[in-house]
Amino acid sequence: MKKTLIGLAAAAALLAHSAAANAFEIGVVAFQMSSETHARVANAVEAAAKEKGWDVTVLNSNGTLPTHAEQIENLVQRGVDGIILAMSKPVEFDAQMAAVKEAGIPLITVMSGASPHALMDVQVNEYAVGASAALYLLGQIGYQGPILTQRFESNVGTRVRGKMLDVVLSENTGVEVVGTHSMARTKSWREDVRSGMSALILQNAGNFKGIWASFDGQAFIIDDLLKEQGMNKGDVVLVSIDGGAETYRRIKDPDSMLMATVAIPFEKMGAAAVDAMQKIAIDGADKASITSGPYLFMDAELVDAANVDKYLD
Amino acid sequence: MKQLVAKYGTALSGLALFVVFLLFARNFASPANLLTVLKQASFLAIFACGFTFALLTSELDLSFASIASLAAVMVGWLLHSDTSWLIAVAAGLAVGTIGGLLNGLLVTAIKVPSLIATLGTASIATGTAFMVTGGVAFVGRWDASFLALARGKVLGIPFLIIIMFAIVAISWFVTRLTPLGVHMQATGEAEGAAHRAGIATKRMKLLGLTLSGAAAGAAAVLLVANLSSAAPQMAGDFLLNAIAAVLLGMTMFDPGRPNIAGSFVGALILAILANGLVLFGAPYYLQDIMLGVIVIGSVGVSASVLKKAAFSV
Repeated sequence: MKKTLIGLAAAAALLAHSAAANAFEIGVVAFQMSSETHARVANAVEAAAKEKGWDVTVLNSNGTLPTHAEQIENLVQRGVDGIILAMSKPVEFDAQMAAVKEAGIPLITVMSGASPHALMDVQVNEYAVGASAALYLLGQIGYQGPILTQRFESNVGTRVRGKMLDVVLSENTGVEVVGTHSMARTKSWREDVRSGMSALILQNAGNFKGIWASFDGQAFIIDDLLKEQGMNKGDVVLVSIDGGAETYRRIKDPDSMLMATVAIPFEKMGAAAVDAMQKIAIDGADKASITSGPYLFMDAELVDAANVDKYLD
Repeated sequence: MKQLVAKYGTALSGLALFVVFLLFARNFASPANLLTVLKQASFLAIFACGFTFALLTSELDLSFASIASLAAVMVGWLLHSDTSWLIAVAAGLAVGTIGGLLNGLLVTAIKVPSLIATLGTASIATGTAFMVTGGVAFVGRWDASFLALARGKVLGIPFLIIIMFAIVAISWFVTRLTPLGVHMQATGEAEGAAHRAGIATKRMKLLGLTLSGAAAGAAAVLLVANLSSAAPQMAGDFLLNAIAAVLLGMTMFDPGRPNIAGSFVGALILAILANGLVLFGAPYYLQDIMLGVIVIGSVGVSASVLKKAAFSV
């Protein structure tokens, strides 16, 4: 009896192992998990893939180019069935992405930009997002007065947002940028933003009506700096982009200067990447049935006091 | 037996790790993957060789990663300006070598402790890299001949691996089989006695730090060619990893002493670990934890040498 039970247990273990071995397997690489948005995408991909019963290997490149390249190469060697990259860089990693394609592994990127080697890039329309945030800020200050800006040029998305702000400003000359800080250090970016913006805020004390930040993480630091200066809600209009629990809490907070964000649906984007992978790699659907171009665009909504409750629920 | 374990214990542990991955990590044993491991070890091995030269003379170089990032940025900038890739490569090597020479002069001529001097030059290099780039990476599809430095193959073997073996072999030859290597080691172990014996100890230290910079320059050129991009702080993560490789190396072959063979095997073990864990499907944070454990463990063995290097004037 004992032997039979052991035999059954061993057979069950073997079956479980072979089932796991047969499960579709994806590798997920997030460029920098210490950035909340990268982690949100990676975690969403992992959750959606596990829900489908897939095996998932999640990797974090720690914001380092060589590490990102190595991790993509290692996943190719592992022979995963699909790869999803969050906030990758198609030009920098062209050789690695080409190797993925050459190995016959379907590749989908999220918020990375187009690559000839990827099936698609799941994106929001950053041009629309940038214009939406810029117009909201200008509307709140009555299209008149000085503003400060906190930019980030190293990322395609935040760079586009900044360029759209420039376009909006070029048509609305009543608004003047009196100070700009460009975030350069990606690893110690919080310190970089804090030191740069505190200097600008002190230099322009009482001489700015609004602040535009290229992503919410920057806006949190600026919001705290403004509070340290004794400012109250309504003194300065702070607008940013990304969305997330902390952003919505601040928009609702009567002491916070953060007035609005454009909510990027990171979780939905991660899930959409997994769905697209399922349709193409497992169900055999044609890529064109999902999107005709290199991008799969998702909607992004402007969130302010009027609709923030919907996001807080 | 005890001596055998002391000399080869770490290398045998590395071999055991290799065997574990060989048996349990899918595709680890494939020739393509083993070449990938060697390719990924090559940057680390080159940095580690440079750091070994500095540490051999009892000087600590904490600037090599920042100097490499600056050298990479210079290469990228020149390529981006349509300069001949040969000139760009020469400039990258020159930046690394001059950076190392500057460290050497600060330590030997002005008598700044290497710990402080190299922290200072690291900061200068980082600032200069940001000044050149404005924080934005140089990215391009550059001359194929240049990219072939890292991506090309000779008889199926990546050129990167051949370069790594050449640098490691030359470094090993110099340190083990030439009077120069003996003088450098004597300088590091008993500077006073070496000086009294007629060895130009200052020159040895200057050379050790200069070679560390030169290795950083060489690694930087290869990094740019591999990624076809150059960004400030792109080599940042190599600081801890290369130091870990050298410390790990000091626990084998010539225990307690920095040695090229040990540094090379140390770099190889770290690359095997990074690759094997991905193929094993281990969570991403395990790599960082393992690296920390390796650093602490190997420092335990080689602490006295490091202490001497860190605080010597």
